[in-house]
Parts: sequence; structure tokens; C-alpha cells
Amino acid sequence: MIESRPLISIDHWLAERSWRPFDYQRRAWQAYRDGESGLVHAPTGTGKSYSIWLGVLDNWLATHSQRDCWPTKPEPIQLLWITPMRALANDLVGSLRAPVADLAMPWTVGIRTGDTSAAERKKQKARLPTALVTTPESMSLMLSYPDARERLGELQCVVVDEWHELLGTKRGVQTELGLARLRNWNPRLQTWGLSATLGNLEEAAQVLMGHRPGADRPCIVSGETPKEIQIRTILPVDIERFPWAGHLGVRLLDQVIAVIEQAKSTLLFTNTRSQTEIWFRALLAARPAWAAEIALHHGSLDRDVRSYVEGRLRDGTMRCVVCTSSLDLGVDFTPVDQVIQIGSPKGIARLLQRAGRSGHQPGAVSRVVCVPTHAFELVEYAAARSAAMRRQIEGRQPIELAMDVLAQQLVTIGIAGGFIADELLAEVRTTHAFRRLTDTQWQWVLDFVVRGGQSLRAYPEYSRLMPVDGRYVPVSQRVVRMHRMSIGTISSDASVQVKYLKGGRLGTVEESFLARLRPGDCFVFAGKTLELALVRDLTAYVRKSKKTSGTVPRWDGGRFPLSSQLAAAVREKFADARDGLFDDPEMKTVRPVLQLQNDWSQLPGPNDLLIENSKAREGHQVFVYPFEGRSVNEGLAMLLAYRIARNDPASITVTPNDYGFELLSSSSLEFDEPRWRKLLSTEDLLEDLLDCLNASELARRQFRDIARVAGLVFSGYPGAPKSTRQLQASSGLLYDVFCEYDAHNLLLDQARREVLTQQLESGRMFAALERISSMRLLLRFTPRLTPLSFPLWAARIQTSHLTTEKASTRIERMVKQLEKAAGDK
Amino acid sequence: MNALKTEYLGEPIWLLPQKGLYLPRRQTLLVADTHFGKAATFRSAGIPVPAGTTATDLSRLSDLLEATGATRLVVLGDFFHAAAGRVAGTMDAIATWIDEHRRLSVMIIRGNHDEQAGDPPNEWQCECLDEFVEPPFVYRHHPAPHEDGYPLCGHMHPSVYISDRHGPGLTAPCFWFTARCAVLPAFGGFTGRAAIQRDVGDRVFAVCADAVLEIPPSKGRLRNRSARSRR
Repeated sequence: MIESRPLISIDHWLAERSWRPFDYQRRAWQAYRDGESGLVHAPTGTGKSYSIWLGVLDNWLATHSQRDCWPTKPEPIQLLWITPMRALANDLVGSLRAPVADLAMPWTVGIRTGDTSAAERKKQKARLPTALVTTPESMSLMLSYPDARERLGELQCVVVDEWHELLGTKRGVQTELGLARLRNWNPRLQTWGLSATLGNLEEAAQVLMGHRPGADRPCIVSGETPKEIQIRTILPVDIERFPWAGHLGVRLLDQVIAVIEQAKSTLLFTNTRSQTEIWFRALLAARPAWAAEIALHHGSLDRDVRSYVEGRLRDGTMRCVVCTSSLDLGVDFTPVDQVIQIGSPKGIARLLQRAGRSGHQPGAVSRVVCVPTHAFELVEYAAARSAAMRRQIEGRQPIELAMDVLAQQLVTIGIAGGFIADELLAEVRTTHAFRRLTDTQWQWVLDFVVRGGQSLRAYPEYSRLMPVDGRYVPVSQRVVRMHRMSIGTISSDASVQVKYLKGGRLGTVEESFLARLRPGDCFVFAGKTLELALVRDLTAYVRKSKKTSGTVPRWDGGRFPLSSQLAAAVREKFADARDGLFDDPEMKTVRPVLQLQNDWSQLPGPNDLLIENSKAREGHQVFVYPFEGRSVNEGLAMLLAYRIARNDPASITVTPNDYGFELLSSSSLEFDEPRWRKLLSTEDLLEDLLDCLNASELARRQFRDIARVAGLVFSGYPGAPKSTRQLQASSGLLYDVFCEYDAHNLLLDQARREVLTQQLESGRMFAALERISSMRLLLRFTPRLTPLSFPLWAARIQTSHLTTEKASTRIERMVKQLEKAAGDK
Repeated sequence: MNALKTEYLGEPIWLLPQKGLYLPRRQTLLVADTHFGKAATFRSAGIPVPAGTTATDLSRLSDLLEATGATRLVVLGDFFHAAAGRVAGTMDAIATWIDEHRRLSVMIIRGNHDEQAGDPPNEWQCECLDEFVEPPFVYRHHPAPHEDGYPLCGHMHPSVYISDRHGPGLTAPCFWFTARCAVLPAFGGFTGRAAIQRDVGDRVFAVCADAVLEIPPSKGRLRNRSARSRR
């Protein structure tokens, strides 16, 4: 009986359940007790949450050792727990409540997200729970109320869960700004981040802590255990000579099924939501008996469907779940004993994290089986394994100077009772994101929320905040309402609900996909073939179709580029191959393809830049292989296209992939070495990039997110009154209007900067060009497509032709021709 | 002026790249969906959209009148965007423009936005109607067949996707002639667009910078367009 014990501690609670805490958990508790702040990093599923939570409880128990003296009422709010995913919040609350309930502590644990019911909100308005689980958006929303300081000023600790997911996103910046506010109210506030393994842990911790003068260095607690991870690959028996994306994958279905049969419970990860649909159908077609044991899980499926699948994973009653990054995060599914990765791993950390979703039992091995969808992915797996063994793991770059998020924060604080400009500036500058904010930039943001922009004339009738006796306050209640409705930094595309005519939600698809369908058309979604019946009020009503085929929707996003670490590791594998080293089973298998590349063109070494010229029916084409990952390659391709077309007007089509890029032009692209050197120089890089941004659609696309965050696009809310419809304009339209009438708007600047730094990764581009400048150029004229150039050519055919049937027929034909040529040699 | 001159129901028709349709026999210029005051509506709701769109639109309208020599202007609905956009700056600009074109007769067909936004002030001497029959045509806002003639309409803000064999295609505002009615592109510079669903027999004229071009139907594009998408 607990009551009979004079002293209560977390150790007793653990002992009662015969749990032995990990060393790192004990270290985290001690650090918490010492009043420190910092970052705990450990692989998923090793009890990161308890490393801080039990420390918090233990600390309270230590200062309240006499049970008789415990208050009868629950303690007031002490801790805020920020999680990036609403979906994870419920599970989290469950595990946080367990020790509190067992020890009968006078603590309550509550939840506040966009899904929280009105009744619960009302209860919280009267009294906040002792610990509150919330999201960055809901935290911002809480900060927008005038009584925020009264309610949250006494917080002892903020825990930011899955910090690696927030870092490098605008939600991360939003979190930084919120933390700065809370620390301003209570300088002794403790902040703890929980993170998976990252290449830049120190920086990650510093971003979370901010830059308050006199603050201690963050404490980093490592929970890395030398857990064994096995990376194995299904090797195709008959390696095709000419791989193109998506071709090998389904051929390996039988082997994948065999692997699934060997384990009790498997997670099958794909890189896109479309791929999950395709694989799920393939599995079901091959093994109809598995219908009740396999399921789909991706971010566009309805919440209820996903919860059901997650529940059954926990029970261990699922044979296999086909999923995307939607299952990368959060709760543990202990019964999962194997992970399958379809297609490119894209990054080392990503592959390790996915592998880590299996083998949670103590001492168990984490296993990932890789399934290539084209031959070069075999090289990637071998490269990822080598890099993982050397612990070369990617970092995440934090975002700086996100003016859209700052503008949003200014209005948030403004409607929470107003602010004095200098005070808020000092606070904002303690964040990592805005530590280098200049006075001019600050003045611009102030002007933006007060009168729309710098010039007085440009924005008549406009205002959100106004200065009254030195305090910036909202001009009307309408501003307050509209801002609270649109707080949030995640941009979501216009999505359409998918429902059965008879009732029952299935999930969402993007509006742009649906726009191409007509009633009667079939598409594949949630593992079913559905026939579109009608579309009304952003809802697509469907019925089940007896047809077996249909279009698979494509969802935006999720196209991760190869990380620079993995790209470098791939380059090394190529170098090994050139030296005749084929140690890994993957490399042995892919050898004939690499051999062919060497015979027809050349296999580039680590110090070579291969450039292949050839003539196509459509015009002149050139293939360049910097091996820098898709986004950098795209940037380099745009830059080259711009530099070529500037001297000699032409229209050039650009197709990048993770290895290189293709340029296609109506005029000749055969240049000598000095000309290539000039095209590839770092001179005037930034100016040229900015110029080519203006000549392309990139900045316009990037503006979409910015417009939403800065409050230019008012997305409203479900059931919003019709009057808000008059305020709807697409971000593309706004972009055009800004370019024409207020070209110096900083938000336009930001769009360009974001494209440069995040999308095209200009820093990496500069490094790549520097590297190239000391490399040997291998100029080759190739009469036919080579194994390296074929995927690029195939990708272009897929984009420029209108139907995939045509493209695939054509590609099949080309493959036959090329194979014949290889055989005749 | 690069007008595309064609004929419909025996009537000559000019399609102009400034997004106007001119009927030379009636010296009548038609435009649709001007949405005057839209930027101001946004600004008064706290969304900073820069000023200048109204002035640009009005000067483009002057260009059209000058190029065609029209004596009558018909706006096919959604003249104003919203009541909140009827602010002094916008109203003054339009009033000045009307003053400068005193000899022009202006007819405004009411659209769905005008219901809430209201008719222009009486001083402007615009004729405001729900629809107007002038055989063989009917001027109206909503695209729908009409028993008294072939309707020339607005409302939809039509645009057409034009594919390119060597790269990504582009979307352009368009004039869309169907069996039931014709739809004009939205005139206002700060207005959105909606992609058309083309049917067999439709004629589509895209507005591209300084020219109007007829876009032939492309094979296999009426159906199965979904297969095209890559992202």
C-alpha cells in the first residue's frame, strides 16, 4: 500500500513495475533537478519522454516528501509539453498520466490542440491542468489572449518533443518565439528538447535555448545505445541494365512477400503517399487472404482510419502496414519486428530512424530490408550502410529571419494586450532565428503590421495594429478574431474531403488532383478503387467501384532530396567501383550496370565531373552529374541554363534528379572546357541566381507559404461566414500584384531568400561549385543514353508528355532498343 | 492592337488581348468581372494588398475604347467586388474616369458580387440591369443558355492550360465559346482564374500577353488528364 510508506519517490514507482531506468534517464533527472536546460537525444522508443517527465515528478516529490501535507486541490500549471503532431498528443497524455495516477499525486495532465472540445477548453479556461500537452500553434493561440501572462507566467518547464522535426521548419521558429516570451516572464524557466539523433546536436540545443545574455550553456544528455542495426537489401536476380524510377520495385513483389512472411509484424515504408497506395494494392492482389491483416497509413487518410491501424499495430495483430513518414514519429509499436524500405533512403538519419522502429524489445536487433526501385538505389543502400557505420549523420539547418512568422508573432502579441516596440524587439532578438535582426528589418515588420508596408501611400484603408500611447494594439475586434483563426505556420494545400455517398469519411486529396477528374472517373485511394460521384463544398462524394484500376493521386510534398552526406557517400562508392572494389552485395549486383556506364561513357571518380553530350530527337541534350542531391542539382541546372541562355537566347528545359541534371535546348550545348569552366564558376553566383529566380516560377511558388503565414491569404475555418469569401485570393495572384505594385516588399525578398537557401540550398551550391572548380571535367559524347542519363531522360518524358501510358510505352520501347544495342556490342 | 477577328452567328466579333470583346456592328465593347475595389476590400479587412490595381485596370479600359472606337461599354457583372471596397480612393478614381469618358454610354449587368456591393452611384449615369437581350445575343452574368439568344457571359474567370512538348505548359485567361454560351475572361487585374473543362466542339481563345490565339483541342486531353501529373 502506498499510503503506508513515509517516503514516496519515482524509484519506488519504477521498482514496483520492475523497471530499471537507463543511465541517460538518470542523468536527465539529475540535470533537471539542478535547474538546467538542454536537449535529450536518444533513438525512438527508448523512453525519452520519461527521461524528463519522471525527473519533473521526482523533483516535485522531493520537495513534497510528506504525503500528509500534499494539497487536496491539483497543483496549478507547471509544465507545458509541446509536440509537433496532434495525432501523438493523446497517446502521450496516457503515458504521462500513468505515474501520476499510480502515485495518487495531486497533479492533472490535460491536452490542448486544435482537436480539443469546446467543453474541455472551457474547463481549461477556469483552471489549467498541472501539465498541458499542446502544439506550437495552440501555444501561440494561448499567447494571443490578454490573460496569457497571468496564466502561463508561473510555468516551471517547457518540454519540446521531437525537436528534430520542428527544427528547420517555420513551426520551429514559431516555437522559438513562444519560448522567448515565456522566458521573458520567467527567466528561470527550464526548457528541455527531446530529439532523435542529429548531426548538429549542439546547434539544435542552442536554437531551443535562444541567446539570452548570461544564460548557461545547454546541457546535452545522450541516450545513444550501441543498438545493432542491420541494413539488408533484396537483390534483383536479373539486374536490368537501364533503370528508371519505379520500374524495378513491383518486380520484387514476390521477394517482398517472402520477407513479410518471415516476420510477425512489418512496417513497409515508401517515400510517397502514392507509392503506399500502389504497394498496398499489389500486396493485396498477390495475397488476398491478408485482407484483414494488412493496412495503409498515410497523412491524407482520415484520423479514425489511422488510429485504428495504430491501435492494431500496438496489439500486434497487424501483419504489415504500408506507410509513409506519417509513421516515422512518435509512439512505439513494440510488436513491430521488421521494417522494409521501398526506394531511396534519401538520408542516413532517416534510414536509421526507420530501422529503429523495429526491434524494441531489449536486446533485439533493428532490421531494415531495402527494396530498390531502380538499380542505382543499390549503390545508395551500400553507401548508407557505410556512412551509418562511420556515424556520419545529417544535421538539420535552423531557419533564420522568417519575416512572415515574425509578422504573425507581432500581431499575436499585439492582440494579447499590446506591446512596446523596444521591449518586444529585445525579446525577439533573444531567439536564434532573429538574433541578427537589423533595426531596418524590425522597422519594416512594424510598418507591415501597422500600415501594410513602408510607403504610406501604397496601402490606404489598411491596418491591423496601431500605436496608442506607445503601445501597439489591434485596431478592431475583427482583427483579433481573424488573426486567432489563422494562427499557424503549416501551409496546407487546398484539400478536398473524400466521403462515401452513403456517409463515412475516407480522408483528403488535393484540389488540383480532383480538378482533373470528372464524375464517373475512378481513382485509387485508401486502398480502394473509388468512383467519383459528385463534388460539392470541398467534399468529393464517391462510391466503391468494381473496376480494378484507377488513377493514383499524387500528393504534393514529400519529395525529399538526397542528403549531402548520403550523396557524398554515393560518390565514394562510385570511386570504389572505378577502382574495381565491389565489397558490398549491393555493389556486386549493380556491377554490370556500372560496367556499362564505364564502357559507354565513363564512371566518374570522386574528383571528376562527368558531362555527357548527345543528340536527341527533341533537340540538343547535355547531362551533368555533380551528385549533390536533387535540390542542389536543380539549382545548378537553373544557374547553367540561365548563364547559357543569357548569352545566346534559347529556351532550355531542365530535369534534375539526385545524381545530376539534364539540359535540353533547341540550340547546341556542345561547349569546350573553358566555356564549361566559365559556366560552372562561382563568380557572381548570387546575382545570377537572383536573376534566374525572376525568370522562373520558383519564387512565386515559395510565396504561397509566406502569404499564408503573414496573413495575406485568409483561409478561414470550417463553417466560416460567407463574408470571408470576398477575401479569398490565390497567393500566385497576390505575388503578381506585389511584384507589380510593391516590388520592394520584404515578403517577396523572403520568398526569394527561401528559394535560395532552402530549396536550391545556395550554400551547398556554392560549396559544390567550389568543389567542381578543382575537379577534372570529363566531356564525353555519347551516341546513346547511358545508365546514368537514362533515368533523367525518362523523367523528362514523364513530365512533358500528357499521359503516362504513352510515356511508358515509349520508354519500354527505348529500353528494348538499348538492350539490343548492349547485346550486339 | 492585335485583335483576333472572327464571327459568330453572322456577327463579326473582335477578341482583344486587353480582355475585351468588341462588337463592331454595334460599336459595343464588352468586359466581364472588373471587381473594382477588390484590393481595397482586402486592405480594410487587414490584409495588405498594394494599391494601384484600379488605376491600371481603368487605363487598360481606356486603351480598349481608344483602339476600338466603341461608343458603348457593357460590363457583364461583378463590377464592384464588395461593399467594403467602395472606399473614397477607388470611387474617386472611377468617377474621374467616367467624367473623362462622358460621351460613352455605360451599361452594367448585375452579377452575384453586385448584389451585395450595390449599384454605382446615380451621378455616374450607368444603366444597371439584370440582363439585356440584343439579338442574336443576350448579355448576362451567369453562364447558362437563354431562350432569347446566345448569351455572352462572365462569372467564371475562365483560363486554359496549354501544354508544351518540351517542358511545363502554361495557363492563360481565355474566351470560351461553347454551344450554350460564351464566357469572357475576367477583366480585373486582381482576380483569380478557374480552369475550363473543355468539351468537344468548344472554341477557346487564349489571351497571351499582347495577342489572342485560338487554342485547338489537343488529342486525348479531354479525358484522362490526371495521368499527366507528376507532383
